[in-house]
Amino acid sequence: MIRTCASYSDDQLRQLLLGNDDGPTGSVDHLAECSNCQARLERLAADAEQWSEIRDSLQLERDFEPGFELPLENNRSRSPNKDRDHWLRHATWTESMAKSLLSPASHPEMLGRIGRYDVERLIGSGGMGVVFKAYDTELNRPVAIKLLAPYLAGSGSARNRFAREARAAAAVVDDHVVPIHNVETGNEQDNGQPFLVMKFIPGGSLQQRIDREGPLELCEILRIGMQAAKGLAAAHAQGLIHRDVKPSNILLDEGVDRALITDFGLARTTDDASLTRSGFHPGTPHYMSPEQVRGEAIDARSDLFGLGCVMYAMCTGHPPFRSETSYAVLRRITDDTPRSICETNALIPEWIERIVMKLLAKSREARYSSAFEVYTLLEKCLAHVQQPTIVPLPVELQQKPQRRLWLPVLAIASIGIALTCGVWWTQPRPVGNADTATVVSTETVSTESVLQWESDLPEMESLRRDFVPVEKKSTKLWDIEPKQ
Amino acid sequence: MLPSPPETRASLIVRLRDVADVAAWDEFMTIYGPLVYRLAIRQGLQAVDAEDVVQQVFIAVAQSVHQWLDRPQPNRFRSWLLTIARNIAIKTLTRRPHGGVGLGGERGWNDLAAPDGDWSSQFDFEYRQEVYRWAAEQVQNTVASNTWKAFQLTHIEGVSIAAAAERLGMSIGNVYIARSRVVNRLRELAKQFEVSQ
Repeated sequence: MIRTCASYSDDQLRQLLLGNDDGPTGSVDHLAECSNCQARLERLAADAEQWSEIRDSLQLERDFEPGFELPLENNRSRSPNKDRDHWLRHATWTESMAKSLLSPASHPEMLGRIGRYDVERLIGSGGMGVVFKAYDTELNRPVAIKLLAPYLAGSGSARNRFAREARAAAAVVDDHVVPIHNVETGNEQDNGQPFLVMKFIPGGSLQQRIDREGPLELCEILRIGMQAAKGLAAAHAQGLIHRDVKPSNILLDEGVDRALITDFGLARTTDDASLTRSGFHPGTPHYMSPEQVRGEAIDARSDLFGLGCVMYAMCTGHPPFRSETSYAVLRRITDDTPRSICETNALIPEWIERIVMKLLAKSREARYSSAFEVYTLLEKCLAHVQQPTIVPLPVELQQKPQRRLWLPVLAIASIGIALTCGVWWTQPRPVGNADTATVVSTETVSTESVLQWESDLPEMESLRRDFVPVEKKSTKLWDIEPKQ
Repeated sequence: MLPSPPETRASLIVRLRDVADVAAWDEFMTIYGPLVYRLAIRQGLQAVDAEDVVQQVFIAVAQSVHQWLDRPQPNRFRSWLLTIARNIAIKTLTRRPHGGVGLGGERGWNDLAAPDGDWSSQFDFEYRQEVYRWAAEQVQNTVASNTWKAFQLTHIEGVSIAAAAERLGMSIGNVYIARSRVVNRLRELAKQFEVSQ
């Protein structure tokens, strides 16, 4: 039966809009017939202008033909609007998305093919593109191939930047920088996309290792820190600033204990006019230097801040500045002193903390002067840790750390207690409290605390016991024994 | 008891005051990020520098959003943001020794110095687009897929109600309800972004 419109009030229609079911019995059938109610329902949902705004906004998106097909469920990345994609490019890459960039595979176990390379699998994705593990079929060796993201392939500036990365990275030859084999341009089938062929480093990134193992051992911290510093020094010698030093950009060659710096995607040469610009990517500002955050000019010492962050992360298992949002992190980078490393990880000697904190100095002037200086310092530290009896700690680190305040206080207190106890034990027993108090006051040692100690002798003993290991730990563990 | 729509105007902006409000900042960046980025690109900046401009704009907003909120008579948030973005874009262009790259520094300057009219209406138009696209993602994820398709086919793709009903195996009445429900939710979601002001 078809009811008249009058039987549906605006309120009932609104309820229909807000609900999830078919609403009052018969309303579905009624709406199919009654143009009046159809119009009212539409008007209640939105006014005519909004309906058309919505259509215009969502329709425009459909006018573009996407250059490549992404899985439907990844709605965000599917948006073909280039700028918007550029901005939202942090959507996670999947193998199937990456596969769309490649020619069909020549072998069923391979993901695809590009140029003369058989692509095996996706090993990483970053702001600019994706990285595959592949085989060079002519030279018969594994390689890593970095491909410009498709939405950037059409952009001249992105291509330039990609080429700049290639040139920059290729110019740096060092054991601790990932070598670039070649830059190639794919054939027609590959849409003529440029790609970078690098040495394949088996073993994953430092970030993966930290995620897996948490804080690293002292020797490893020093070794990786030292090697990263050497790689940076080599880049700096070429007038190149990396600008994005972080654990995920340090690769660990498994088996040979070698750390290599990679991803010069953000690197700028020191004579680049745009050097004053910061260049961070939303989502990972944890390793930015304060001058980058503030948008000030940067130089090689900005990379030292990044190195400090990396070392901090190796010591503690997490970056020095953490917060819920990127913005809070940025604020902490410019305003906060990170939490003491030794408090987080008691196995780390205090002199390492001093090195890291110096790298993390807010002002560039307060950091070390060059990556090379850090490299030589860490090299000496490593030698010391490996052979503590033969190689002393570098002189600049030998200056005794500022003792914690309570150590001298405890020392004085214990002398006082010893005196008091001596007196107390020589007293004939039983001795009343009042008498003891008199004796103590004649000793002119801080009466109050001593009285308290005296009435709690067992506790004093336990404190003394604590005191000794602390002292032991501070010398043995910090200065001689690197590990446990 | 119909829930009267809450007063959500500027609510997102209010939440930005709290830098720890991840959700608010995420939404904010999703919508305003591409806008500011495009604005910078149009000024003749290269992609890398445009990204930098976006970052700087957001940092500036994070630092001064409470000042804006504390004003007795705040102007539109969007206008405020536009001003910030323009200032930062100008700074970025002028900081280069040879002017802008891209289309040429001189031209970038002239564009910036031009009166606001077109600029601001273009910004408004793109803003609305971003808001509705964002809202569409939210709604699409929360309604039944047929509900969304009914809306998409009939309102966006111009398929007739009857044809859509047949294709989706829904009754005609349900197609009417579905598309209006989607539009209603889109409007509700978009409301907090002051799209129609």
